[in-house]
Amino acid sequence: MKKIAVKIDDLTVAYNYKPVLWDIDLEIPEGVLMAIVGPNGAGKSTLIKSILGILKPIAGSVSIYDKPYEKQRQLVAYVPQKGSVDWDFPTTALDVVMMGTYGSLGWIKRPGQKQKKAALEALEKVGMLPFKGRQISQLSGGQQQRIFLARALVQNASIYFMDEPFQGVDATTEIAIINILKELRKAGKTVIVVHHDLQTVPEYFDWVTFLNVKKIATGPVKDIFNDDNLTKTYGINYKVSIQE
Amino acid sequence: MNSAQIEIQLIASLVAIACAIPGTFLVLRKMAMISDAISHSILPGIVIGFFITHDLNSPLLIVLAALSGILTVVLVEYIQKTGLVKEDTAIGLVFPALFSVGVIMIAKNANDVHLDVDAVLLGELAFAPFDRLIINGMDVGPKSLWIIGVILLITLILLFAFFKELKVSTFDKGLATSLGFSPAIIHYGLMSVSSVTTVGAFDAVGAILVVALMIAPAAAAYLLTTDLKKMLMLSVCFGVFSAILGYWVAHWLDTSIAGSITTTLGLLFLMVYLFAPSKGIIAVMYREKQQRAEVSLITFLLHLQNHNEVEERHVNHLREHINWQKVRATKVLELAKKNNMIHIENDVVSLTEKGETFTSKAIDYIITNKDAQIEDMKDDFFLFRG
Repeated sequence: MKKIAVKIDDLTVAYNYKPVLWDIDLEIPEGVLMAIVGPNGAGKSTLIKSILGILKPIAGSVSIYDKPYEKQRQLVAYVPQKGSVDWDFPTTALDVVMMGTYGSLGWIKRPGQKQKKAALEALEKVGMLPFKGRQISQLSGGQQQRIFLARALVQNASIYFMDEPFQGVDATTEIAIINILKELRKAGKTVIVVHHDLQTVPEYFDWVTFLNVKKIATGPVKDIFNDDNLTKTYGINYKVSIQE
Repeated sequence: MNSAQIEIQLIASLVAIACAIPGTFLVLRKMAMISDAISHSILPGIVIGFFITHDLNSPLLIVLAALSGILTVVLVEYIQKTGLVKEDTAIGLVFPALFSVGVIMIAKNANDVHLDVDAVLLGELAFAPFDRLIINGMDVGPKSLWIIGVILLITLILLFAFFKELKVSTFDKGLATSLGFSPAIIHYGLMSVSSVTTVGAFDAVGAILVVALMIAPAAAAYLLTTDLKKMLMLSVCFGVFSAILGYWVAHWLDTSIAGSITTTLGLLFLMVYLFAPSKGIIAVMYREKQQRAEVSLITFLLHLQNHNEVEERHVNHLREHINWQKVRATKVLELAKKNNMIHIENDVVSLTEKGETFTSKAIDYIITNKDAQIEDMKDDFFLFRG
């Protein structure tokens, strides 16, 4: 049995006392590339944010490699939804990627040459090196998403959480991103992605969690990605043709 | 210039710098109105402090005023969090309430205390040099200069120490949290600095105009740069420039210093708003005009490329075919001709080789719209400019 990278016990999260996640129990094994799927309002982003301590759950606990998140920050990288930040902020692509190194620096200490070098390498990996000096509002949606990915890569984490990284990106960027995610998995990292496009789940991911306020199912895509679970999650009689 | 004049300008400049720094972050966090709220609601803190110490420059007064500033922020956030009213409504509810408490306290005790509403609202910069700080019988300068100096020094130390944290939590709160930088600490730190600075600036420019010193320089700088550090430096420069120029305007016109400084700030922002190279109104209008011409030209060229029939390409028919006003049609025709994209023979328009290539490329760009292509195309698209 593989090691468990993320373990969630009895997690309940509420906005203004209205639960959006009910009693979630979830174990994510190390080294999987996992999609979290579910309808709008299912609590997919909420689940990620609760794991990362951005939202405070009203019950339950989360552990990263058997320890609370606060002690394991260095192991975790996070790619928020692209729309969650103001892209008119006066900063460059390189500077945004550098922000990924802030966690390892801690308070007060400034980033130096070492951090810059790491950021440039990450930019190169996502094919954005020529744009390093560009103001972030001058980038296309796909380029902005790549910058976010580079910022996560520079954290050199063991577990990556990504909130809809394919939202609003063109086909080329989507392929580029998924290739990088597959590389991360190959390197033994655990990658957890909030995902919308059910058609691509079997092609992109090897592990999947169905979520709709409660956890519906979790496991290998080949075993559990079926019409039964889709119907349970999306409420209607759902059919996807899974390519053989 | 006499020493009092120098001192006034020095105080005004330090106030401007101390305001521009937190102001920059308030603007970036879209919290400009919070500074308005703070500047008003510190009044009860000042009044209570003044009752206790009978000294407008006492540290206790500054601490109390800063606390009422923080109280404002906490109350606004609390009311907003209930979800019953929006943030701007919450601000509009909280600060007049606190301000009015201060006004009532002043009015109630008007006979006993030397503190009037005018001074609170508009400041008394002209009188600042009269209140000296005496240490061991030695005159070391005006008290307000020392107060704002110390506040500025603390602000600068905090800025240098926590620049990275301020930046990341302003840009991406979620990332800041996940990295372990508590955005709440940064937020309340910034609010504290804003409150303390507001109290320190009170003497110089009063409660209403301090908002202008916080917001206008930062708003102007925002239009001029895409680099946070440069934005901070520009804000500081704009603040100091307006403070000194405003002082001399007041001197020449024999009018309120605070009023002149703020008017200068307003005019400075107006200038930047109009003339900023890429984000200014005029630049934006020019760019839109160029874009319109660009789109018209491509539409026109595409029409030519799609139609081989002579009647479709006749000068007189073109107008009705693409349904344009005469002026616009003529302009586009001239633009295409000037760039050697077309040639006209017997009033029939056809694409040149350059025109053909350009049109194909343009269509390719519009259809694929891939990142890499945009980069190559940009040069081509601006070919016919100028």
